[in-house]
Amino acid sequence: MPADVDDELAFHLEMRVERNIALGMSAAEARREAIERFGDVGSVRAALVDHDRRKHTTRQRAEYVADFVQDLKFGVRALRRSPAFTIAATLTLALGIGANTAIFSVVNAVVLRPLPYKQPDRLVTIGHGSTGEYLAVRDRLHAIADLAAWTPATHPVDIGGEAVRLNGAAITTNLLSLLGVSPIIGHGFMPTDGNYGNANVVLISHGFWQRAFAGASDVIGRKISIEGSSYTIVGVMPSSFHYPSDDVEYWQPIIVNPQNLGQVWGIAGRQLIGRLAANATLAQARAELQSVWPSLRRANPLWDPGPDYRAHTTVTPLQTELVGSARALLWMLFGATLLVLLIACVNVANLLLARAVMRERELAVRAALGGGRSRLVRQLVTESLVLAALGAVLGVMLGWLAVRGLVAAMPAGMPRADEISMSGAVLAFALAISIGTGLLFGLIPALRATRANGSHSSVAGGGRRATVGGSHLRISGALVIGEVALAVMLVTASLLLVRSFAALRAIEPGFETTHVVAARISVPDARFTGDTQGVLAFYQNVLDRAKALPGVRGAALVDHLPLAEPVWGIAARVQGQFEDFTHTLPMIDHMQMVTTGYFATMGIGVVRGRAFDLTDRGGAPPVAVVSQSLAKRFWPNGDAIGQRVGFPYASPWITIVGIVPDTKQDSLRDTSSATLYVPWAQASRRFNGELWLVARTTRDPAASGATIRRLVHDIDRAMPVSDVRTMDAVISDSVTKSRFTTLLVAAFALLALALGAVGIYGVMSYLVGERRREMGIRIALGASRASVMQLVLLRAAWLAGVGAAIGIAGAMVATRSLRQWLYGVSATDPATFLLVPVLFLAVAALASSAPALRATRADPAGTLREE
Amino acid sequence: MPTQREPGDLLQGTLGILILKSLLLGPAHGYAISRWIEDATRDVLRIEEGSLYPALRRLEDRAWVTSEWGLSENNRRARFYTITAAGRKHLRDEATVWLRYSQAVTRVLRTDPAIA
Repeated sequence: MPADVDDELAFHLEMRVERNIALGMSAAEARREAIERFGDVGSVRAALVDHDRRKHTTRQRAEYVADFVQDLKFGVRALRRSPAFTIAATLTLALGIGANTAIFSVVNAVVLRPLPYKQPDRLVTIGHGSTGEYLAVRDRLHAIADLAAWTPATHPVDIGGEAVRLNGAAITTNLLSLLGVSPIIGHGFMPTDGNYGNANVVLISHGFWQRAFAGASDVIGRKISIEGSSYTIVGVMPSSFHYPSDDVEYWQPIIVNPQNLGQVWGIAGRQLIGRLAANATLAQARAELQSVWPSLRRANPLWDPGPDYRAHTTVTPLQTELVGSARALLWMLFGATLLVLLIACVNVANLLLARAVMRERELAVRAALGGGRSRLVRQLVTESLVLAALGAVLGVMLGWLAVRGLVAAMPAGMPRADEISMSGAVLAFALAISIGTGLLFGLIPALRATRANGSHSSVAGGGRRATVGGSHLRISGALVIGEVALAVMLVTASLLLVRSFAALRAIEPGFETTHVVAARISVPDARFTGDTQGVLAFYQNVLDRAKALPGVRGAALVDHLPLAEPVWGIAARVQGQFEDFTHTLPMIDHMQMVTTGYFATMGIGVVRGRAFDLTDRGGAPPVAVVSQSLAKRFWPNGDAIGQRVGFPYASPWITIVGIVPDTKQDSLRDTSSATLYVPWAQASRRFNGELWLVARTTRDPAASGATIRRLVHDIDRAMPVSDVRTMDAVISDSVTKSRFTTLLVAAFALLALALGAVGIYGVMSYLVGERRREMGIRIALGASRASVMQLVLLRAAWLAGVGAAIGIAGAMVATRSLRQWLYGVSATDPATFLLVPVLFLAVAALASSAPALRATRADPAGTLREE
Repeated sequence: MPTQREPGDLLQGTLGILILKSLLLGPAHGYAISRWIEDATRDVLRIEEGSLYPALRRLEDRAWVTSEWGLSENNRRARFYTITAAGRKHLRDEATVWLRYSQAVTRVLRTDPAIA
């Protein structure tokens, strides 16, 4: 442009000089006069150059936008012309983007996003200990600016109506300020709230506030009853606050009575959380902690836990502690989904290449019409960006569904599960990957397609293309083989898991499940210690009324419900075998206290002897029923009936009066469950504050649940009823972790299968496109259409076969690590390992049938004419 | 600024009109335009020839003229300017205003008492 300006101005000046000379001036004079007339050449030149330059950029920008709009329209039109391709590519991308969005949502919420507290990276945990240890450590550690403690506290809570069983936490009064969180209404705890003898105060969660008080603004000052003691509400926490766990509904202060040394040093289980001092490092805190423990032992000679005391307790960042093992798992999942996305990109690139071959003519014409290569590349990339945008929209929708599914199926205890959602960060991520993938899968085919056209000038003919593209076919063939191998591994693993899960669910628990409803009935501690006889009468009353309900065929009480919570074992004496309780006694896996109707209600038949009956009263000779595996364990050759067992320490011998079959207690995968049953009437002093009511009913179990709740509250509204479920639901809940793993792997396997199918489709379409003319010639020379079709199908079968072989080999190794998840099926189950390759051959045949049909339609006459 | 008029200011708008007028004869390069103005005004309006080119750019920006490289009468590369339809219309409008204005001023100046 500056050259143009110079040319124009030079022309003007020279013309003027020539005229001046013609008028009779000398050359020098002519020149001077011309410049004088012209004025300041330099500034005019600068102004013109500047003007032209600015105009050029403006025009370029406008052209660019116009081109883009044109490319966009062109792309949309081109995609609409080939719906099969568009659907295949969009779905592939949507699956890749959707899976990534979903998994990234989880990774972002759980691992990446900082904890919602003040300076969360300075928060640390120091294991757990007693209140005394807490106080001592707090005062001695200089690297820790502030230290707080908490204990989970699940109690019956009464809000002036019916009591409910709620999860809460007892916390030291400084915990909230340490986290940097304050209530949205009212205020946090005062330091004096933790002093012994002060009035009871409590903070409640946002959810509790909404549910129990309908979000009333005057909730401050109201009273609730926890464990029968009255507490005044002083604050409502924000809805985002869930420390220490998602289900915490209230916080009460830890009361420290310094006079009561037993309380201070005796009760362990305080979880310690601290904030690092401004300039202290984690390593300093750790070193300091190690030097504190011995001094604690010296300071409290009455309380000496031994030299190994606290050898393994250390300082851990809070985020690490919370997220813990989930972190590695999530990163692995994320890696896997990125791989899936990459495969999706490769697939779409293959599809685009196949399409480019079919559009060879069109592209050549466009190039010949003066589009220029970069223009053409831009056009094709725009088209792939349109595809990516379609895929992104669909993918984000799929991802949203997947996140909901993931959260719903997630087993309890997943850290920070409540924070998982599609956030701005997730959407930004989805946008970034879709643009990235659009460029990635669009650029390479676009460059290839336009180069091929440039070198062949295929407007005229391009028949020689029949043999070109072999190297690309080799590459994409290898990629498809890889895809199939990966999919085979995943499908194999998921089939094994699905079969395991089915086997797990098919296990008979040993008791009736469909018609039995269970409900947990808790008793406030204060009530229990104050009025034991009254509580026992209450339970008897509940049981009597439950038995009298219409449709109820039997009801009973049990202290620990199978498969719902741990059924503890006990060390026991066995007469004639292990009588000396100063020596180690054998452990019995489980012990349950049951009322007389338990076996009949649960449908557990008596194998030998008798079940409990009304004669097994408090003063009567102590009796027990044992499960078969317990009987076999201690009396393998004799009869257990009439034998006697006992609890540790001096307690009366208990006579075994009956034998029942084993039932599953801790999990469906229990292999043996030696269980000792004792009658409630003879063992109620072992009562721990909760009992389960089980009732067998002929009515709708769901309705019976409500009836049971009403029944209990008619007797005493202070007794919370919770976890009302059929035994079917109890069993189903006990396998959520297995179900989640199975679902996750199955989802990935389906994804891999779908991508593998699209991969085969894409590469076969490309192959058929490339060899269209060759096929035409074959047909022209007399080959049957069936043989051409066979050619394509065989090629697809070969790709799938090689992929499947590699995949099966990989699966043989990989499924070994699945062993802990497998049940009732071997890690190298022959049926599964045979079925999967067959499945993939079928998929390959299906995926390549469309390209194969296209090959048979190759037009022999047209081909010959072109040649 | 308004108190102190420079000769260039008069030319700012006028020069455009002169250029457009010159182009009514047909496409011309910058030098030809300047020569035409020189002859037509009999050198009364001494325009600085350099100011012609920024003026041409401004006319081009408003789409009153277009330009194109070509060969001059003596076979040299030169940029030729052509008036557009919009340019003609603009010239007509401006000329009407200008003529009416100058006639009014002339009439005022001719009334008695005579200036000199």
